[in-house]
Formats: sequence, structure tokens, C-alpha cells
Amino acid sequence: MTLMLGSIVFSSVKPISAEKMVVDPTGRSVQVPDHPKRIIALAANITEIVFALGQQHRLVGATRYSNYPAGALRLPKVGSYIRLDLERILALRPDLCIGVKDGNPIVIVRRIMELGIPFYAVDPLNINAVVETVQAIGDLLNAGENTSTLVNQMQNRINRIRKLVARSKSRPRVFLQLGISPMVSAGPNTLAGELITLAGGTNVVTGSARYPVFSKEQVLSLAPDVYIITSMAREKVFEDIKQEWLQWQQMPAVRNRRIYLVNSDLTDRASPRLLEGLECLTAAIHPELLDMKQLNCQ
Amino acid sequence: MIKRISIISIILLAVLLLTMILGVSVGSSDREILRVVNAILHPESDPMLSAIVLKIRFPRVLLAVIAGSVLSLGGVVFQSILRNPLAEPYILGISGGAAIGAILGIIMGLSRFPGVGFTAFAGSILSLVLILYLSTGHSLFQKDRLLLSGVMVNAFCSAVIMFLVSITRDARLHNIIFWLMGDFSTINTLQASILLLAIIPCFILIFMLSHTLNLLSMGKESAQSSGVRTRLIILVQLVTTSFMVSLVVGYCGLLGFVGLVVPHLMRTRLGPDHRVLVPACILGGGAYMVFCDILARTLPEQGEMPTGVVTALIGAPLFIYFLKRSNS
Repeated sequence: MTLMLGSIVFSSVKPISAEKMVVDPTGRSVQVPDHPKRIIALAANITEIVFALGQQHRLVGATRYSNYPAGALRLPKVGSYIRLDLERILALRPDLCIGVKDGNPIVIVRRIMELGIPFYAVDPLNINAVVETVQAIGDLLNAGENTSTLVNQMQNRINRIRKLVARSKSRPRVFLQLGISPMVSAGPNTLAGELITLAGGTNVVTGSARYPVFSKEQVLSLAPDVYIITSMAREKVFEDIKQEWLQWQQMPAVRNRRIYLVNSDLTDRASPRLLEGLECLTAAIHPELLDMKQLNCQ
Repeated sequence: MIKRISIISIILLAVLLLTMILGVSVGSSDREILRVVNAILHPESDPMLSAIVLKIRFPRVLLAVIAGSVLSLGGVVFQSILRNPLAEPYILGISGGAAIGAILGIIMGLSRFPGVGFTAFAGSILSLVLILYLSTGHSLFQKDRLLLSGVMVNAFCSAVIMFLVSITRDARLHNIIFWLMGDFSTINTLQASILLLAIIPCFILIFMLSHTLNLLSMGKESAQSSGVRTRLIILVQLVTTSFMVSLVVGYCGLLGFVGLVVPHLMRTRLGPDHRVLVPACILGGGAYMVFCDILARTLPEQGEMPTGVVTALIGAPLFIYFLKRSNS
């Protein structure tokens, strides 16, 4: 009886509209509506991408920390991207969920699909993949010209930085600290690691670990020329940390007053804003090429 | 006797059913009991709400019931065999061993059932062997020694878990962290039913052996003199309990102190007879866990907190209280 009720309910919930088969960037085939109208973005960067494509009218839900742009704050929240609220997702009657591979827990993703909601996964692990992800989501949502304009803009901004950086011969040694505490940095095989290289720096973190934790002593021995902290922390917190480092004049970055704060949302999120992050890092590593004051980095 | 068991069981079953109804009525999208009852009786009136109730809330509540029953029963079994009111799968480190197994399973990319359930079981058995080894040489029944071994095994398990978390590639890490936080929403009705089918025989077995639990809790010697094959019975009980606990841990993560609170509550109300305590803990434990899950869903203003936080917040102070009282 329960099963029968379930199937009646199930079929009546499922939206009746034309559908198409697409392959998402992770290689999965997904049956999606031709024109998705009720989308839930299961990570903050996806919310940003959908907004950047001008398709925000299709969004009916987003995750808790989707704080950009301002319009995203008004969207109903479906939990954090790691702790998704299944019930709220279903209650919003989405016809498509867009999530991140390796971000949204697989057990919940399976449940979402079981409930008959198409799940489209993206996997932007490097900057080119971010551009491709924007293209893929643009195509998925039939964003037309908006997609090509945005993708071209992103490409141009990357190329501009490449050209700028090519002008400089120096490749300062950079320590990028993700967050205030603990001192976590990014290895070469990460998006943040790639940003350092693109921005014309040499990542002092080598090795295969993706996000290793460092002690102050280890950072001192790495002797970075530039020290960048990406965080959501306010200026005051950053100033305190800067003061703390000032007693270590042996470190080149301290001696030359090359400690910077960059808004972590610009460097962590695989969205079009990543290019702002790239520009901020470039300005921090090569102040002679770009002026950080003209960018909005904090 | 049978009459007493039946009456108590029926009362507790009623309590369990009531909490289950409350459990399926409370959720992030709607909390109106009457509307939920209406949606169950007339699914066509509100297809969305009835889908939510049947497909999301019901399996979740069912898993909470299973977890609560298993962990409470696990508490009763350990407490009587070890003759220690503070023994419990979580405190002894059985859950911790299961957790290591489960995390290894998740790292290997196995499915929650049977894959992770199996690796969790292997982990819990290793823990069990380790605890028993640490406490032999003296007596299996020596209270403080066993408890201390359990605490040590637990500390070791926590260290291994932290180690596994620290070396895991971030892709799988999200799944582990999610699992560690404990969640009942990862299961569908079919999986919950399979889990129930795997666990009900364990309940029956332990219930059938409940009179031996009575004898064991009086002491090994008196049990032996009554003709009980103590070693075999103890082994069967411990392995069965570890099996159930592992399946639950594999699905829901670590939920501490449930096996302490419920058996204690039942024992003070119903007396020490295990023929009553076993069914009472199965039913009462289920109701208690659903209740904790409701709190976890409703207390935070935004989102949810892990149910394990609620069970520990209630259980840990109680543990300290018992410890203090048993010393004085």
C-alpha cells in the first residue's frame, strides 16, 4: 500500500515537460528538462555562475553560504553544501539540481536522484575547467549570448594576466595561507596553487599533498618573498596577524612589507569571480604590473 | 511474567509509535501534525507533503528507531555481561573500532550497505578482541580494568580516525566528515527495511538469551552453576551486539551514550530483569533516538545539528553523574 501511494505521489511530483539527455562535465549522462525553471544550486560557486549568466530567475534555492551577489542572500537555503537538507530540497520542487563532484556528499546525491530530481555535477579543478564549467552551465540553461559573452570575458581576463606576467622576469616565492588558523596552504595540484603560478609567483609549497598544514617555523624556513592570506576575516584580525609576523624580520616578506590580505571568496570559489582573485594575487606578487588599490580585493 | 512483558511492551510500543508520528510531522518544510496526518491519509490532497513524509521523513525516523534500539540493547548486553552499569558500545570503544572500519570503507569507496557495514563490523570485532585481551589475565569482569581498557581503545580509535582524516584526499574527506557528523537522511525506505531485516534476528536471539543475561549479571560463577555455558553465551552475545552496532555505525556515524541513558532509565523504572529490559530497551531506545533527532532538527534556528551532539549532550553529564554516584 505504502509503495503504491509512493508511486502515485512520485509520478505526480515529477514535472511534465520536454527533456533532453546531456553529459555533464564529470562524464555522467543526465536527463534534464529542456528549459530548467526551478534550479537549486548546491554550492556557492554554482549560485555565482548562474547569476553571472543572468539566469538567476531560474534559481529556487541555494546553499547556506551563497552570499554573492546580493540577490543570492534572498534565495531559500537548503543547508550547507556538505550538509544538505533533503527535505527542503524536495519541498522547493526543483526540476534540476546542480552540484559539485567531491563536494556534495555522494550518499545525499544518490538520495536526490532517487527522488527523481536530475542531478548535474560539475568538477572545476583548474582555471580552464572553471571556464568550461561556465560554458557547460550556460548551455544547460540555454543562456545563449550571455554564455559566450561571459566565457569570452573570462578568457580575455586570463590572457591579459598571462601577457602582463610575461613582461616580468621575476617569479617571487609566495606563501599562500588559506584562512587565519590553522596555517593551511595549497599544493601545486590545486586551484589556488595554479593561481599563484598564473599570477607570476613561485609556490613555496611543493609536494603532492593538496592542502598541507604548516607551522610558523616551517613557514619561516621557506622564506617566502610574498605572504598572502586569503580569508573572510576583517581588516582588524588581519592587522593583528601582520603585527605578529613583524617580529620575524628574517622573513623576506616581512622585511619588505609584502604581507597581503585577499578575500577568500575570490580565490576559493570556482566562479567567474576567480579572475578577480587572480588579478588580486597578481597585484600582490607583482605590484609593478597591477595596483591592488584599484582592485576590490578584501 | 509474560503478562508483565506484554503490558510493558505494549505501553512502550505506543510511546514509540507516538514519537514516530511526531518524528514524521516535524521537518524543515512543514511542522503541522494534522496536515501531515491528512497528507498520509489523502496523498492526493498534498502530493508534495506526502512525498516528503513518505520518502524523506519516514525512512529517516525508521533509521533513528533502529539506531536507538540497537545502541540501547547493546548497552544492556554489555552492562550485564561485564556487570558494569557504565559499559556501553561507545564508551568501550566498540563503536570507535566500527568507525575506523567504516571510514576505511568510505575511503575505499564502498557503498554504505553492505560494504561499509562489513568493514565497520570487522573494525568492531578487532576492538572487541583488543578490549578483551587488555582485560584478561585478570578477570573479564573486573569493572575498572575493563572500562579503562575501553577508554584506551577509544582514545586509540580517535587517533586513528584523525590520522585517516588527515591523510585523506579532500574528495573523500567531505564524505568522511559528513559521515562523522552523523546523519539519518542518507537512507531510503528499502535500505532501512533491509537493515531492519538484518537486525531483527539479532533482537530475537538476544531476547531468547535474556534469562542468561540475568544469570550473567549475577556473576559468572552463579551462571555456571545454573548450567549456563558462559563462554559460548558471552561470545554469542558480544558478537551479535557488535554486528548490530557496526551496521548502525556504518550508516549513522557515532552516536554516543545512548546505550547508557536508555538502559539506566529502564532499569530504574522496570527493575533488573532482562526478560523485561531487552524488549523495553528496544522499544524505548527507538523512541529516545527519534526524540533526540527531533531536537537536533528543531533546536538550531538554521539548519540542523548532528544528532550525535544531542545524544552526547544528554548522555555525557549523566555518565558523570552515574560515575560519581557509584563511587560514593
